[in-house]
Amino acid sequence: MKNKTYKAVGHAIEWLISKRVWVVSVVLAITAVMGYLAAHIEVKTVFSDLLPRNHQYIKVNDQFKQTFGGSNMVSIMLEVDSGDIFQMKVLERVQKITKSLQQVSNVDGYQIVSLASKKIKEVRASTDGIESRPLMWPDLPKNDAEIKTLKESVLNNPLVFGPYVSLDQKATLITVDFVDTGIDYTKVYEQISEIAKDAEGDGVKVRIVGEPMLYGIVGHYLTETLYIFLITVASLVVLLFLITRSWHGTVLPLTAGLLSAIWALGAAKIMGFHLDPLVIVVAFLITAQAISNSVQLVSRFDDEVANGSTSAAAAAKASLQNLFKPGLLAVVADAGCVLVVALTPIPMLEKISYIGTVWIFSIVVSALLMTPVLLSWFSTSGKKVHPVNIGPVLDGVLNVCIAIVSTRWRYVVLGATAVIFVVTGIYAFNLKVGDANPGSPILWPNSKYNQDATAINGKFQGSDRMFVVVAGKEEGALKEPEVLKGMESFQKYMEAQPEIGGSISLADILPAVKRVVREGNSRYQELGNTANENGELVYMFVSGTDPGDMDRFADPQAKNGAVTLYFRDHQGVTISTAVQRIKNYVAEHPIKDAEIMLAGGLVGVLAAVNEVILSGQIEAIAFALLVLVACCAFTYRSTVAGVFFMVPVLLSNTLTFSYMAWKGIGMNINTLPVVALGIGLGVDYTFYIVDGIREELHHGVSNIEQAITKALRSAGRGVLITALTLITSVIIWSFSSLRLQADMGVLIAIWLGISAASALFVMPAMVYVFRPEFVVGSKRHPIAIAEEQVQLA
Amino acid sequence: MLKSLGKFEKSARLVVTIVTSLIPFSIVGGLLYAALFVKAEAMVSAVKPPAIERRDRFMGVAMPSDKVIWAAGSNGKVIRSDDGGATWAAQTAPTQENLQGLAAWSADQAVAVGGDGVVIRTADGGKTWAPVQVPKSEVANKLLNVRNTDNGTAWAVGEMGAVLKTADFGQTWTRVLPEKDQAWNDISFHGEHGIMVGEFGQIQTTADGGKNWKPVSSGVKSSLMSVYLRDSENGVAVGLSGVVLVTRDGGAQWKEVAQLTREHLNDVIWDGSQWVAVGDKGVMVTGGDAGWKATRVSEGNLGWNTQVLGHSLGDKGKGYVLAGASLAHLDNGTLSVFGRAAD
Repeated sequence: MKNKTYKAVGHAIEWLISKRVWVVSVVLAITAVMGYLAAHIEVKTVFSDLLPRNHQYIKVNDQFKQTFGGSNMVSIMLEVDSGDIFQMKVLERVQKITKSLQQVSNVDGYQIVSLASKKIKEVRASTDGIESRPLMWPDLPKNDAEIKTLKESVLNNPLVFGPYVSLDQKATLITVDFVDTGIDYTKVYEQISEIAKDAEGDGVKVRIVGEPMLYGIVGHYLTETLYIFLITVASLVVLLFLITRSWHGTVLPLTAGLLSAIWALGAAKIMGFHLDPLVIVVAFLITAQAISNSVQLVSRFDDEVANGSTSAAAAAKASLQNLFKPGLLAVVADAGCVLVVALTPIPMLEKISYIGTVWIFSIVVSALLMTPVLLSWFSTSGKKVHPVNIGPVLDGVLNVCIAIVSTRWRYVVLGATAVIFVVTGIYAFNLKVGDANPGSPILWPNSKYNQDATAINGKFQGSDRMFVVVAGKEEGALKEPEVLKGMESFQKYMEAQPEIGGSISLADILPAVKRVVREGNSRYQELGNTANENGELVYMFVSGTDPGDMDRFADPQAKNGAVTLYFRDHQGVTISTAVQRIKNYVAEHPIKDAEIMLAGGLVGVLAAVNEVILSGQIEAIAFALLVLVACCAFTYRSTVAGVFFMVPVLLSNTLTFSYMAWKGIGMNINTLPVVALGIGLGVDYTFYIVDGIREELHHGVSNIEQAITKALRSAGRGVLITALTLITSVIIWSFSSLRLQADMGVLIAIWLGISAASALFVMPAMVYVFRPEFVVGSKRHPIAIAEEQVQLA
Repeated sequence: MLKSLGKFEKSARLVVTIVTSLIPFSIVGGLLYAALFVKAEAMVSAVKPPAIERRDRFMGVAMPSDKVIWAAGSNGKVIRSDDGGATWAAQTAPTQENLQGLAAWSADQAVAVGGDGVVIRTADGGKTWAPVQVPKSEVANKLLNVRNTDNGTAWAVGEMGAVLKTADFGQTWTRVLPEKDQAWNDISFHGEHGIMVGEFGQIQTTADGGKNWKPVSSGVKSSLMSVYLRDSENGVAVGLSGVVLVTRDGGAQWKEVAQLTREHLNDVIWDGSQWVAVGDKGVMVTGGDAGWKATRVSEGNLGWNTQVLGHSLGDKGKGYVLAGASLAHLDNGTLSVFGRAAD
């Protein structure tokens, strides 16, 4: 560090320590206010926050979701153990559920579809002409004969048999849509679970799937999530206490983490953000940074005390003076990398990015300021508060590090690193965008939700919807035979993909009506030959139905219509294949009077999310690295420094991505926050060690080997303590009932582990072998030797 | 010597210095380039549509030889199996119209007809299908069925009283009867004897190979969908609402069988030992001298059928191929739907 800055930092901290009561009071006062705000932060999932703004698909979804069905659909399946569903006990329950669903909060009353709803009809000829009549509304069949009639009507109706009654007749489906605005997923989850519980039993199984349920489950586990968080913190306390054997080594890092968290959450409340329960793990990620910085300062403080510092204040001052630069660099670089995440145009990521940036900057106060100030109160006796000493273990590890650098093993380590980098770099390309497996990656594969999803998708066409809009150029376009034929052949083309279980549109309705008009002759189950004929068919279908029943197929002007595709899963590759096929089809088969617009429904919006992630991930990584390079290059006035510090970051990213690819963790809307924030994570370990080496040389150690040894014994010890504590604590997350949190916990552990390993093993070897000018100096730019330290009186 | 070496060393050092100072810039440049211009490609899996797709309906089917099953249906779909239905291949037909019938003289020669007067023919087993121009009406032209006899002769019937004949394996077609606002649904020949049925219970017969047609009374008002002439005397016609008519004098007089089902019957054949008719909701009507009865093709399949073909299973008795909402095989009462192994 430049002597000037060094002195300025010294003076500043001296002054702050002299006014320490005031400093602590002010910080506590702010914390109290922030704490009050933080306590009122809302913890909830807002689905619309997950969707990329301004994406074409999202616009289509927002415009048409009211009529064609948005992303908030729940499917409830009633399954019988024996016989078929055409039994009184099943039909009764279908009706009961259909009625009860009306009472669920935020339900779209017009979009409850089941055998017992008014929506499911058959069209038939009667003495009065054509009549469309609900199958089982308002009344249940009265006797076996009527049940038999119902069964025949169902089995003969392709709009019901398949979509709402399974082909083996052992299951029937009830689908319900929810209004987006102000939906409380936990409430929906609890109410629907209650309804399902009532219907369960007596040989009937009830299975439920759908995004509202999924997020409801996440909300349901919120208490557990908080418990895990508390256990993690407790384990941190215990481990720090065990390893540091001192009160200040335990309390101060924790204080730093806590202060930062409170400030950040308070700031989030001020900014009007809420907290998504799925990203609580991210909180831990940043807390880890705060703790890491504080541990470094405490560790340095202990060194100063051991080296005979006269007072706590002097030791605190010296520790901050020496660590101010790497500490600040770590904070700024991390904050920069986190801020880059805001470039991804997904509201939730932007919010996380802003909260994260504030959070990381708060470390300047919570760790860089508060830790030394508070340290000045502690004793310098160096007395250990408990007899368990794992110091020798730490020393042993550090000795290994030193041994590697000082022997030929350093070449082996560097070679191995290069090999690992190349191999994982190539393997990381297997990382999938979107969900990598069927079912929800948020939950464990054997969770009830995922089992239900598998069962429902096995029996039916698919529980995840995508609608594409067929937008006519003018009113009545949807009655044109060419448009309808286009829709029909589009559906046929799309259904060739095995994951698409089926599709429905106006082009499926009209042939059934025409057949009825033509005396039920199956050779006339086809579209009308002219727009007029199709108009008549639409009229016949609509007459006698509720206004709005036609809406999920086409608007009243017959200008815009929907083709709804049913997906059996929403894996990334399923969605991208479907989207690519839609684009191919549209390019090869232009429809004269209409165009096909992508895409709404759950699968439609997921397609948008995946596209944004896909196009944004390289950009995000590259910009994060650029921020890092810029910070380092500026701090050390050397472009080489920037490249030098990229090594551990690149390594931890290729390794983490490889792990994700290997474990089948996809890069999706839920994992992205952790992955994106993790890009710049862990580089601070390296800062402390490399800067430590540099400072040793700066303070007159002329032998590079000795400098490395000293740096590892001091900063390296801090890194080791931090990494050990954090990794052990974060592993607790793997016991979470939510698979996502478990996965993310492991991911963070890997990130921290690799960062620590590269800081301890790889970087010293690189310094030794390559002797970068910004560390060891050169003939032209010799390292400035520090002036004699002015001892504090 | 030493001097030049020193010079060399100096320039080498210069090169190394330049190169090393260039590395950071190239990395930064590379990152910028990646950030701004490199876009990851989405993974896309290849999709090969199966020969029989879920949406396909097959209105016509033919078995020109033991193992060959040839079917035509919605959206100009033609498929064929050369191994009795184990594997299928889709053929390219030059039309998007719904094909209503397929008639094959041999495993090579066939015609198919459908909506808007579409007729297509092949002479190479379906490797190539060519459209054929036929006489058309100003009003409506949908052809509803095609039946072949020997010697390259076939008859196509349809809307607006269409009765078209070919005698050269479908290359040229002539209109036999004048237009009228009534559709013919089916036609059947035995030698020179022929019967044709259509809307409003209409029946016409011929005794001279179709040169002259004579209307006869069926005694019913509802549409007749299919007719089959087993020999020059015995024939059966079936139609909407389960109508079954029997003639024992080559079509002059018809007697209605007491109603067995209310479902429409779409096709009737003599399978060698009994009459078999199929229709809506999986209904199957069988009959003969011992009487008539209505059953279901299969309890679980209530789809409609427009055509039935009988074929011998050797010692194992009789099998049927059914075309309609699905293409299926009925073997001793067990129904298996082709191309639906996944369900």
